[in-house]
Parts: sequence; structure tokens; C-alpha cells
Amino acid sequence: MKRKLLGVIDATTYHEDLEDLVNHRSLAALPFGGRYRIIDFILSSMVNSGIRSVAIFPKMQYRSLMDHLGSGKNWDLNRKRDGLFFFPSPIVESDENKIGSFEHFAANMDYFNRSTQEYAFISNCNTIINMDIAPIFEWHNEAQCDITEIRHQDGRSMEMYLIKTSLLIKLIEKRHETGYTCMKDVVTDLSAAYTICHYEYNGYAVTIDSIDNYFSTSMKLLDSKVWKQLFLKEQPIITKVKDEPPTKYVQESVVNNAMIANGCHISGTVENSIIARGVKIGKGAVIKNCIIMQKCQIEENCYLDSVILDKDVKVEAGTYLTGTAHAPYVIRKGTKQGALMNS
Amino acid sequence: MVKKKCVAMLLAGGKGSRLNSLTKELAKPAVPFGGKYRIIDFTLSNCTNSGIDTVGVLTQYQPLLLNSYIGIGSAWDLDRKDGGVTVLPPYAESSEVKWYTGTASAIFQNLNYLKQYQPEYVLILSGDHIYKMNYEKMLDYHIEKRADVTISLIEVPWAEASRFGIMNTNEELRITEFEEKPSNPKNNLASMGIYIFNWNILKEYLEMDDRDPNSSHDFGKDIIPLLLDEHKKLYAYPFKGYWKDVGTVQSLWEANMDLLGEECDLDLFENEWRIYSVNPNQPPQYLSPDAIVKESMINEGCTIEGKIEKSVLFQGVTIGKNTIIKESVIMPDAEIGNNCLIEKAIVPGEVKIPDGTVIRSLDDEIILVTEEMLNGLYPAI
Repeated sequence: MKRKLLGVIDATTYHEDLEDLVNHRSLAALPFGGRYRIIDFILSSMVNSGIRSVAIFPKMQYRSLMDHLGSGKNWDLNRKRDGLFFFPSPIVESDENKIGSFEHFAANMDYFNRSTQEYAFISNCNTIINMDIAPIFEWHNEAQCDITEIRHQDGRSMEMYLIKTSLLIKLIEKRHETGYTCMKDVVTDLSAAYTICHYEYNGYAVTIDSIDNYFSTSMKLLDSKVWKQLFLKEQPIITKVKDEPPTKYVQESVVNNAMIANGCHISGTVENSIIARGVKIGKGAVIKNCIIMQKCQIEENCYLDSVILDKDVKVEAGTYLTGTAHAPYVIRKGTKQGALMNS
Repeated sequence: MVKKKCVAMLLAGGKGSRLNSLTKELAKPAVPFGGKYRIIDFTLSNCTNSGIDTVGVLTQYQPLLLNSYIGIGSAWDLDRKDGGVTVLPPYAESSEVKWYTGTASAIFQNLNYLKQYQPEYVLILSGDHIYKMNYEKMLDYHIEKRADVTISLIEVPWAEASRFGIMNTNEELRITEFEEKPSNPKNNLASMGIYIFNWNILKEYLEMDDRDPNSSHDFGKDIIPLLLDEHKKLYAYPFKGYWKDVGTVQSLWEANMDLLGEECDLDLFENEWRIYSVNPNQPPQYLSPDAIVKESMINEGCTIEGKIEKSVLFQGVTIGKNTIIKESVIMPDAEIGNNCLIEKAIVPGEVKIPDGTVIRSLDDEIILVTEEMLNGLYPAI
């Protein structure tokens, strides 16, 4: 399968419900699980399944995504042949969440025409998953399908498609005649002239499309049954390396039921929370049911419950911030929270 | 080849025999330290942070792991078009295989490596020590003093001075005398094994030393005394800061414990002087609802269900329920079962410790856990 599959990741997805977290970054680059970005899950799945050529189709606000992916070196995709490709959309206005927009693909036809891989695996960028694509590929060929849509066991589409590259090229070229604008249009057309199959995926998979499900999916990571399905030794989720030292705890530290990344200084209490790389938590501070992103600083004697702190937030000593399980309090990147601001 | 101002030669062949079973299958510079590093990371990171981009790493003893760990040097940003890191193992010539018999002979046999860069200065380093140092400042000092050789020195406690190579200097810090492990030291300035040589001097004296059949081909024992005899300009460069030779199980344990205080002399968190290493890419550490963690350093990929106190845990370590780890160092991917007690011990990588095991020291000596110990061939307690 190794040289037979192209990976195509559509990173144009935007969900208004995630506004506070994605107004300055592509959804694909949304931090998740303490040290990852959402795109790491599908990208690592592709690489671990032997895909050696991956094209990313991003739209607006792709600075953080490009910074994260770089040359693709961390995923071993900095290759002389194939590797990682980046095709920002030339179309400025939004294309309403169409995964695999043919218009966007058409602007980069050369990539598809030059590729030697016989099949393409197209996916959205915002699914938390650790998937082996090889069984899907075998199933697709045995069942002699033209297009396979991957569905979750509950029946919903996972916005992932397997298709022959030559057929994909044809669909892109004839988009004006057929009226198909994206992969979804093809697979939902009952009168389509192709054999369309549905593959049922039984593993763990959650698509992040709102703050509510971002928060609850993150919290479920603390359940060992969930993280054991995502973090596998043989199929690691790969991310950008940061060279942070191990996390340091002091005499006063209290931690339980937490996922904590490297480079943190934990001097307070952390409970049911996910703490990203390089976070500092001062003495006497209590962090409960929170997602704390990279390099946040929480000073002494703060109390945070059900809060999402985006990157680089500074919370001054003695600040009290709370949200609820269904409406976590979200604090935007790079802001400062003082004790008096919320009183 | 582009000419280089300064090329570093890193001696990484150390056997570290006093580290017992830890160095049975790997060279001392490859011994794990500080929760995620290997000892050699400190010297390689110092090089890259000091702007030295050409480093020859001389390996000899158990080089397999060390060679693959260094790779092309990308972890330390030393994968360069010109220079970068080059592993230099001993090699065979038409007449004989030339093992490195001493520190000087190791450099001598790689003069061809140095010649291709035509450096002005050569920095000689050892891969055995834990410290952060800006070699660029030492080079500036060397140039300012118009020295032939500059040797970096550190103040050691008087009581321990007789264990080191001690340098006596005049007021201008010019070295007047060198004594290897003196019984009555006149000074407490010890050599750190870091030298900057003018290239011409290095080449000349290494060639001279090679022709001397009575020489042990060692920098400290042969080259430095010879240079002093010939009244060359040798200057001392006093270094202040954390520096530790982790040559024994005890000192390796101590250096790990040094990292745990709230005020520690070796700041691994300093952004301007990052210590780089090959990153294992593991998920964040998971601390269960029963976990208790105090005064410790814990790396990625650990799963902790027990109590950790004053300990250093490397990546991928698993600690079972009701287990207590106290004042210990647990190396990568070790698995420690439920209801264990481990105190004042070093657990090597990938070791599996069964449920209910008790390992504790009755005196203050640090226990290095071995397979034999776990197989019950002799008791730990």
C-alpha cells in the first residue's frame, strides 16, 4: 500500500461555535491533549499507515498551521520525492465547510496530475483519531468500490473518502458539467454513476466542531480507556518537538487525574485537567476541570474551575475564574486576567 | 571545505566503569540523565548554543547506541551543510588498526579531519560532564590573552582537590605548574578537561607526542606538562557554575537529585540555553486519581498511579498502584508494578519490577537495580 496512496487533508474547516479558539488560527492547528494540534491525529494516522505524500489544503489564518508543520520533518515527510505539500486556497470567501472542495483542488491540479499514487485518501482535519488506513484500502479494493466513504459505527459520515486518483481528477475537471462541488456532493447523490460504498469504522473517533465537544472530548482523554485507544506505542501520534525539560513538581504540588505535558512548573493543585507544555502554576493555585494551553502562567492562589485558557494567558495572583461543564469559560490567547477584572 | 574559526573535538569514548551495569552496553556519554537527557546532550547543546557548528565526536567503547543517538546531529541543530557533527571512530590503516590509546592519540589520529577545516582554534571537550558553559566566551578570553592553550578550571572543595588535576597559576592566571592528583595540593583549581588550542601548537605537539615511545598519549599527563616545560603560554579560564562529573552511581544519583530543589544551580528551564536531546515523541504524562507527586521531575509518556517523592522519572515509565518511589531515578520505559517500595535506587531502562518488590538501602549507599537482583540471585535488602 505504501506507494499507492496519496493523503489529502482539507484544512479549510471553520466552525463558528469554536470562534473564541479559532479566530486567529486554523481549526487544524487548534491545540489538543496537552501537546498536540488537532491535525496531528489524521496526519500521524496517514504517516503510520505508510502514506508518503500528503497534501494540506488550508484557507485563512494558516500561519500557526505552517509554523506547526514546517517542512514535515517531525512526521518524516521532508523527502526528496513526495513528502508534505501545502496548497493555500486562492479563494478568499468561505466555501461552507465542503470537505474536498473541487474548486480548491482544481487550483492545484498539477499536484494530482504529477502524483504517481494510484489512490487518494481525503480527510477533514478535525477528527481525533488514531486509525490504520490499510484495512480500509483492502476492503475498498475487495468490494470493488469507486468511492468509499468512511462512516462511524453510529452512521454519521467521518468526512473521509477513498478514491482512485484518476477518478478524482476526472471529478475535478468535470465539476462544472456535473455540478458536484465537493466529495460530499458525489457520495450523497443517489443517482451518481459510481459504486459508492460505506466503510464502518469501529475505533475511537470524534470530530471537533464546537467548544462544548472540544471541552468534553478533552476531558474524556483523562479516561484511561480513551487515551489507551489514541496513544499507541506502535502507532504514535507525532507532533512538533519542543525540547522542553521534564515537568517539575515541588513539595506543595497536588495532582490527580491529570494529563500534563513537559516543561511545566506545578506548585499548586491540579485536578481533572489537561495542562500543555511550558505552563507555570503558582503556589496555592487550584486548577480544576480545566484545559490550560501552552505557556500560560497562573500565579499564586488563583482558583480556576471549568476554564479553557488559550496560549500565553497570564492569570494574576488571587484571580477567581469559573465556567460550567457545558459552558466552559474561554479566555483568548495572549490576554491577561487580573483579580479585579472579574469582580 | 569552508575554513572554520573553531572546531570542537568531543571525546566520547569513556567507559565509565564505575557506573557498573549502567555502562555494560553503552558508553558513559550515553548514560541517561535528568529525566530525558543523555550526558552528552549537555556538551553538544553547549556547542550549538555557543555558535560552534563543527563538532567531531570521538567514539570507541560501545559506540552502537551513541552513534545512532547522535545520527546526523539534527537534535542539536548540528546537521549542517558545512561542518556539523561527524562521528569519528578508530579506523584501520594499511599497516594496523589504531585504537585510541589516550585522549591525545584520539585527536592525533583524526588530524586529517581537522586539517580539512583549517581551523584557527581547536576546542577539546569531554562528553562525561553535566554543565552549561558558553565556549565562545572562553574563546574570546583565549584570544585576548594571546594564549597558546587555555584550560578551563573550576574551584573544587579543598578536601577533594587531590582527586583532580590541579593547576597552579600566577596573578595573571598564567599556568605555572600542573599536578595530576597531588597529595598536597597548593591550589583548589581543577581542570575540567576543556582545552582551547591554537591549531598550530596542537598539531605540532600531537605529532611530537606521537613520536615519544614513553608517552601515555594523554593531554593531562603528557601534552600539558610538555607545553609547560617548553614555556608555552598556558592560561587558566576560571569557570563558575554547576559542573559535575557523574562517574559513579552515587554521583549520578546526586546530580539527578540536584535538579529537584526549588532553587537549583542547573536550570534546565532556561530558554536562552536550552539543553537539546532526541525527543521520544510520547503523549503527556498521566497522573491517576490516586497519584501523589512531590518534589520530582517527570517526563512525557509516564503513567503514574502511585506516590512519587524526590525522584526523577524518564519517559515511558509506569508506576503501579500503592507503589512508593522515594529519592530514586527511574530510567526510560521501566515498569514498576503495584505495592512496591523503591527508595534511594537507580532503576535502569526497560527493567520490569514485579508487584510487591521492596528495594531500599539500609545504609546510605545508592542501589543500582540489576536483573540478577530481581531474579533473586542475591537480596537487595
